[in-house]
Amino acid sequence: MADAAALQVEPVADDAVSVRVLASGRWTFSGLKEHQQELHRHLEGLERRPPGSVAWDLTGVAEMDDAGAVWLAHAVRRAARVEVLPRHRDILKQVSEGMLVPVEPKRFDPLWAVEASGRGAINFAVHLRDATALFGQLVLDLAALARRPAEFPLRELSAGIYRAGVTALPVTMLVGFLVGVVLTYLSALQLKRYGADLLVINIVGVGVVRELGPMLASIIAAGRSGSAITAQLGVMRVTEEVEALSVMGISVTTRLVLPRVLALAIALPLVAFCTDIAALAGAMLVSRFTLGISPGAFIEALPRAVEVVHFWIGIGKSVFFGFAVAFVACHYGLRVLPNTDSLAAGVTRSVVSAITVVIILDAVFAILLRNVG
Amino acid sequence: MSADEYVIEIEGLLNKVGGTVLHKDLDFRMRREEVVSLVGGSGSGKTQLLRVILGLKRPAAGRVRVFGVSWDDPNPKKVRDARRRMGMLFQNGALYSALSVFDNIAFPLRERGGLDEDEIRAIVHAKLAQVELEPRHGALLPANLSGGMVKRVSLARALALSPELLILDEPTAGLDPDRSERFVHLIKRLRREQRFAVLMVTHDLDTLHELTDRVAVLAEQHIIAFDTLAAVRELDHRFVRSFFGGDRGKRALQDA
Ligand SMILES: Nc1ncnc2c1ncn2[C@@H]1O[C@H](COP(=O)(O)OP(=O)(O)O)[C@@H](O)[C@H]1O
Ligand SMILES: [Mg+2]
Repeated sequence: MADAAALQVEPVADDAVSVRVLASGRWTFSGLKEHQQELHRHLEGLERRPPGSVAWDLTGVAEMDDAGAVWLAHAVRRAARVEVLPRHRDILKQVSEGMLVPVEPKRFDPLWAVEASGRGAINFAVHLRDATALFGQLVLDLAALARRPAEFPLRELSAGIYRAGVTALPVTMLVGFLVGVVLTYLSALQLKRYGADLLVINIVGVGVVRELGPMLASIIAAGRSGSAITAQLGVMRVTEEVEALSVMGISVTTRLVLPRVLALAIALPLVAFCTDIAALAGAMLVSRFTLGISPGAFIEALPRAVEVVHFWIGIGKSVFFGFAVAFVACHYGLRVLPNTDSLAAGVTRSVVSAITVVIILDAVFAILLRNVG
Repeated sequence: MSADEYVIEIEGLLNKVGGTVLHKDLDFRMRREEVVSLVGGSGSGKTQLLRVILGLKRPAAGRVRVFGVSWDDPNPKKVRDARRRMGMLFQNGALYSALSVFDNIAFPLRERGGLDEDEIRAIVHAKLAQVELEPRHGALLPANLSGGMVKRVSLARALALSPELLILDEPTAGLDPDRSERFVHLIKRLRREQRFAVLMVTHDLDTLHELTDRVAVLAEQHIIAFDTLAAVRELDHRFVRSFFGGDRGKRALQDA
């Protein structure tokens, strides 16, 4: 193999040209690396000479690749004379032309803040519009399926219920149990001071059954099932599977969105129910040890402390939460553009929006049902 | 230099995927600046063999060396240098979907280091021109390219570091005859300028004729023949007969 890239300068005395530069060796990625600093300094020194005063002789160059060509092309652009081997002429020319491609100017727009907020508002409106359209399509699909129940995607539905419901139980119940433990412990500390020990069952019971159970189940569902739905639909967008479905004349909403939304709307109340039980079990355990309320007494007091309407409100809300989480997830999944960044952003937004929507819905329910129970 | 005589050396390769033996007692040697086509039935393990050569798959036994370096070499610098001397064109492009065409081609250059952003720009535009794309295509995202453009951009990216070995997996599959012919001429022209070695998997007889110095036939888990096209097609083997003996094959051979 030839030597690394090198430069040699020799003075000439004939005309306007004052020096002749001989380049030799391997002007390649690896050949440049060896004396990179030195070559750089050398070339910078030559740059300072007046244009047209340097003659270049590149015939000693053994190998030239793009890296070498870009250095040499830059160096020789104001040269008086350049001698090149024929086999290096093309690459040198291509790279010189590459250097001439103008850079698109990056302008600073003083109104960028206005523009950005306008864009944000439009973006929000577009989301709202598309979500409304998706919702409308879902309703139409449901109506159509009601007339032809044989086409109902039962298999997808049951798979969805299993995935979003059964497999979510361990983590959701564990979280519910721990929240029950912590909540009861904190309440017990306070209530003990007033001697209102038995009230702990009311407070924790109502709180868990009406609010915390459904809420915990929804938030975990948004993280677990919501992200999975968005990622799955998103990848199907990336790989054009969604388009393939449409082309086969299969409705994307019927086949992909509807079963997922229904599955979570059915599964989430069930998960919330199990979360309630786990949280109450935690409450029972802590009551036994901090307040001395026996499990038997706890279970006996529970129906009196917690009216059954609270339970139904909690379960009823879960249906809506489940629907909302899956719906938001599908909405974002179908908006994913065919690239990995968009997929990542879609999943993030899906989870954040789903949790936000659930909390907003919960607030709405709290206001609507303020006189119930 | 003798160590540099072969770009790829494989001896006694044993390779399994998912428990089944795909390659057994496979030997293969490829010289510098040579263009080799790898042919074989569908599912015969051509792509898997490329994966072994690229170091993406560890063989169960045997010796695989690229530029004289084994992928198991304890010296990470040697391995990295060997990797940088080769470029790969994946079957479906494998462009980074989140990066523009420009950034896709600039990616290996930036990772490699030693060049400033202006120099990288010049090289990227030179590469775009080499694969017959225009500067304005640089701003496009891979999702907005046609099939032929994806191939050309991937080729530009594979060539960004001026590799000495270019590996192509079915470079003309999915292109129309006109496009694949242009692609073949493109590679031919680039090779005249840059003299890299090429190892390619192809089913396309025209491509074989246009480019190939030697043809390697993969069948029965090893390379059953490795010779010039003229010699290989005389072989009495079931796969070779059907591959070259079909109507398509005859026509292509007559035209050559
Ligand atoms: N990850 C894998 N696990 C199991 N089998 C595989 C895997 N990848 C490929 N195969 C099998 O290996 C064989 C060779 O595949 P491949 O090298 O892609 O064939 P081709 O010669 O068409 O490129 C095929 O039969 C394929 O089914
Ligand atoms: Mg293959």
